[in-house]
Amino acid sequence: MNSDVQNGADRGKMRTKDLIFAGAFGAIYLVLMLAIVMGSGVVPILYLLSPLTVGIVCATVYMLCVMRVRKFGAALIVGVLFALIAATSYLPSFCLAIVAALAAEIVLKVGKYQSRKAYLLSYVFFNINMAAPFLMLVFDRDRFLSIAESFSGAEHAQVLGALAPNNYFWFVSLGLAVLGALIGGFLSTKLIRKHFEKAGIV
Amino acid sequence: MEFNIYGDNSGAVLRLDPRIKLLIFLSGSVVALNCYRLTPQLVYGAFLCAVLALCGKKIDGLKIFCIWTFFAFLRICITLSGKGHPLLIGLVRGLSTLVMFSLPILISLMLLIQTTRINHLLAALQSMKMPSFVMIPLAVLLRFIPTVQDEWNGIQKAMAFRNISLDADAILRAPTKTVEYILIPLLFSCIAVIEEMTAAALARGLDSEKRRTSSAVVRMTSPDYIVLAGLIAVVSFALYFGKTGAIL
Repeated sequence: MNSDVQNGADRGKMRTKDLIFAGAFGAIYLVLMLAIVMGSGVVPILYLLSPLTVGIVCATVYMLCVMRVRKFGAALIVGVLFALIAATSYLPSFCLAIVAALAAEIVLKVGKYQSRKAYLLSYVFFNINMAAPFLMLVFDRDRFLSIAESFSGAEHAQVLGALAPNNYFWFVSLGLAVLGALIGGFLSTKLIRKHFEKAGIV
Repeated sequence: MEFNIYGDNSGAVLRLDPRIKLLIFLSGSVVALNCYRLTPQLVYGAFLCAVLALCGKKIDGLKIFCIWTFFAFLRICITLSGKGHPLLIGLVRGLSTLVMFSLPILISLMLLIQTTRINHLLAALQSMKMPSFVMIPLAVLLRFIPTVQDEWNGIQKAMAFRNISLDADAILRAPTKTVEYILIPLLFSCIAVIEEMTAAALARGLDSEKRRTSSAVVRMTSPDYIVLAGLIAVVSFALYFGKTGAIL
């Protein structure tokens, strides 16, 4: 049964092919995200900037996924898969990542899966999950730095500590995430219009 | 690290239940981020490598264990000697951190993807009474990570033809263009694979309302319980002794 000929009651529900699509895009998003974070993780400043860089690069993946599926659940599934892989170590981070994905999903729903502004705004909410792993800086800055120290040595931790001087530094990474999402969102709408709409994929 | 699309458990001594492998995978990220001392890390690593070897990847298990031990040894040497140029020390530290941090996740991913057939995983998730909106994305995610890697390699080869590469120089000179040239073909070819995979899955009745039957028998047996007990012991050891104290 094609989704075009479904009756109204069934229209908003995820079907198997949408679930497959969301799961596969979760894989693409995770591979790209891990490649960027691992690639830039050695340099402290690039590591702290990762909400920005990941936000810019992964925007196209997210947009393509939600613009293709256009049902409640696509963003949430990608968000939960992200949280499972990247944020299981610290409970508040995990919760924040899930809440961010849920907020993105609700914005999409309010935009009735049509409005371009809603897509952009939902990506801004979704990308907040990139700031989630840094949430430890707010509640537990010393622990965060001691982890960095035991992982990468005292110099690395000192540089991180100097770059992130107090507990409120997290709001900078939140800001970076929002900024990255806005830049990435605009770029991705351009890219999608240029490549994927012509090919009839969205 | 190369992943194959089909899991292969032909040479396995132990045929573990996929649920145990999922648990090992989840414990991997918890231990990686909560255990900082070398001895508990190494004990945990030895356990993972042993399980990987018993599940059929004997050479890989041995290889990874050697790499892990080598980096742990390097770390100890650096920490104890206290000599050397700071830049060099920082570089070696960064490298060993990256390797030791990513190994647990890599090993458990290998265990989950390389030694498990997706039909076994689906049968195991089904017997856990998982609803389809949990089961399908999870199975597709694990099945799709090797595909993304494959397509990525193919696109890099194709782009080398036009001298477009993903090195630091190119990223600094033309960031948006480089990303666009790599990302867009990657997405296009992934979408083509997804379409085919969906068609194949639907043709085999993945979206049927009825309960699916499976030729794969998935049941917890005594080796599963032994590995489970070992896992609980090793993880609690790593979490308890890994938090504070000297680096050793």
